[in-house]
Amino acid sequence: MRTLSGTLTAAQKTASALPHPKVEILDRVAGLTRLNWTRLYTGAEADAFHAVAMPADGSLIRLRIDSTNLYRQRVTTPGAGSDFATWTSWAVTAYAVALCAYGSAVFAFRVGLDGKLYRADSADSGASWGAWVDMGAITGTAATRLACCCKSATLAIVLYSQSNAVYRRRLSGGSWEAAAAWSLSVASITGLAVRYQGDWNVVVTGTQVTTLKPYVWTCVYGDGYSAGVGTWSALVELTRAEAGSNVSFAFPCLDFPDVFRAFFVEAYSGSEAYTRPFGTHSLATADFISNLWREPVPFNLASTYGLALCHSSTYVWLTRPDAVWRASLTPASVELTADVLLLATALGEASGELSLSLRNDDGRYNTLGTGTYAAIKLGSEILFSPGYRTTAGIEVSSGQAYWITGWEYVSRPPSSVFCLRASDGWAMLERWKARRQYTWAAAAKNIFQLLSWLHARAGLEFSSFSTSSAIVNQYPAFTINPGESGRSSVLRLLSKVPDVLYFRGNYGYIVNPLAADASAYTYGTTHAILEGRYITRSKESNRAQVFGAAVFTEDFDWTEIELLSDILSQVKDLNLTTTTRAHERGAAELREAAIHALDGIVLVPLNCGQEMYDVVDLTDAVAGLVAAKRRVLSLSHIYNPTKGQYVLKIGLGAL
Amino acid sequence: MIRKGILKAWASPLSSVQIIGSLSVYLDSIPTSRAIPTAEMVVGRNVAVLFLDPSNFLDAVIIAVWTS
Repeated sequence: MRTLSGTLTAAQKTASALPHPKVEILDRVAGLTRLNWTRLYTGAEADAFHAVAMPADGSLIRLRIDSTNLYRQRVTTPGAGSDFATWTSWAVTAYAVALCAYGSAVFAFRVGLDGKLYRADSADSGASWGAWVDMGAITGTAATRLACCCKSATLAIVLYSQSNAVYRRRLSGGSWEAAAAWSLSVASITGLAVRYQGDWNVVVTGTQVTTLKPYVWTCVYGDGYSAGVGTWSALVELTRAEAGSNVSFAFPCLDFPDVFRAFFVEAYSGSEAYTRPFGTHSLATADFISNLWREPVPFNLASTYGLALCHSSTYVWLTRPDAVWRASLTPASVELTADVLLLATALGEASGELSLSLRNDDGRYNTLGTGTYAAIKLGSEILFSPGYRTTAGIEVSSGQAYWITGWEYVSRPPSSVFCLRASDGWAMLERWKARRQYTWAAAAKNIFQLLSWLHARAGLEFSSFSTSSAIVNQYPAFTINPGESGRSSVLRLLSKVPDVLYFRGNYGYIVNPLAADASAYTYGTTHAILEGRYITRSKESNRAQVFGAAVFTEDFDWTEIELLSDILSQVKDLNLTTTTRAHERGAAELREAAIHALDGIVLVPLNCGQEMYDVVDLTDAVAGLVAAKRRVLSLSHIYNPTKGQYVLKIGLGAL
Repeated sequence: MIRKGILKAWASPLSSVQIIGSLSVYLDSIPTSRAIPTAEMVVGRNVAVLFLDPSNFLDAVIIAVWTS
């Protein structure tokens, strides 16, 4: 249960409390600003190597190669009316280019046609440049890849590929260190990107050694945050393909405007071939090294050389030689509390929905997506924070988030109502569909880690309030078949453990419901029960047989067996290789049955902090209940001011 | 659960199969029914994969092979 202030707790127990269900809509997805790209420039420049950086003065610095000639551009106040078509020839040649900035310092790198690495420095945000400095021979070719980034104006790094190895040179103590190879192995490198954030965070595209499978990897060149200074972490998969699948990856870019955001090019050379950038981002709380990325999604562009990213404090910039896009980092938002005519939620064990009716008698919601209602779009985030007017003023309990799935207009002249429909993290999981076969070998990840990966692919954070032994100690061989939803995959994983999942905002939380859990709230004494139904039923299973790999176990609920004979459930799972794991599964089967052996609902004045799977105690003398403990298995918030309703319907189960 | 796939590699008794819907990644090390003659396991042919446990690719078997 979410923690409430004393005054809000007191208010929700009084019969005369004034409701205040706060409703806001933000142009965000799972807590992160949705980047709405606006294309500011469409030119005729060739798709080729290019780079972008934005120093502190806000100017947009771009480099591009046309054939082998290097051009640069500086737009001092980039915006909708800016000239992105004028380029200055640098009168040098290049195979590859990279660009980075910090404060007013800007570093440009190129791999010359003579195979050497060159650098040019600017101390005035790219307004003027020093001469190219020869940094030495690197046997550069058209296959050489180049990336750079700054930690500060005096600490920077440049990475370049040479055959199947990556070399780094760091600016430290006023000079560039000698080249040093990484400690990792790949068969080939088709792209490099790096961004400093605690460590030197790197995205690499190429092919795997031996198997020659194309990969997009991430790794960290340590600076003491997630990896030791000067050490390389292992390459880990962001996505991959088979060697013979006609799919390959190249030209990644990486930036950290709010979270890590990356693009890379995925190319398919089969029928209906494509060469298309795909975009992805990390989660707000995830370190780069945890490698939790939202599912990469295609960007509406054909491009061989991909995109380049940079940002200011207000915009993210995305470029190609012939294109400039920008997207605001500040999400549009609007509060709708005053317009609410009806609000209802329906939260269940694997679903969560919200419906919202708003006054539209003056047609205020007839134009959506612009102006005051710019935030009202498909997929936007609705934050519902139930509250009351308390002795301390208006207080609410935030924590519920839904994402808009659709809307309707209901016209009964002179009445006009605008109705929004939205769903929670369960629907986000449902909308994620496996676009390929995903497999994890036994011992690769435990169930908690698999759930975390699945949530990340749907853009959701994942954490726990409590966990079972099974969820952290089972490392199953697991697969997700193409077309299967994230929700279905999550439910299959949860069926292996006693733990349950619910959503608070954009977080999925795991809870291990224990029979000994303490009550979080009391109804029927100072917080009235308006209506109650209390149901007892036989358990769906009282004897669980588990068949593992050469393992067989049984678990029993003897009390029920003596009353009803045995009601058998059977589990067959070759991932279970020990009696300990098998008994955990059997116990989970019986726990699930026990929790659902009690049923019913109570209707109470709306409790702002109640959450799924809380334990509450009920006193309802008419039904013979005194401090009877129940677990919350469903929640329905109802706000209907015309009927004076501000209530919570709580679905009940056993502990 | 039965899924249709395309045989991508075969080294008796295990197969690599591209499950339909997975453009880029194959399912490796799938056992093959002993009832299928080795000569019939030709790369590129259609196969039917029976998942005895939908969650566990190690608990699956190729039960049929055919040409379109």
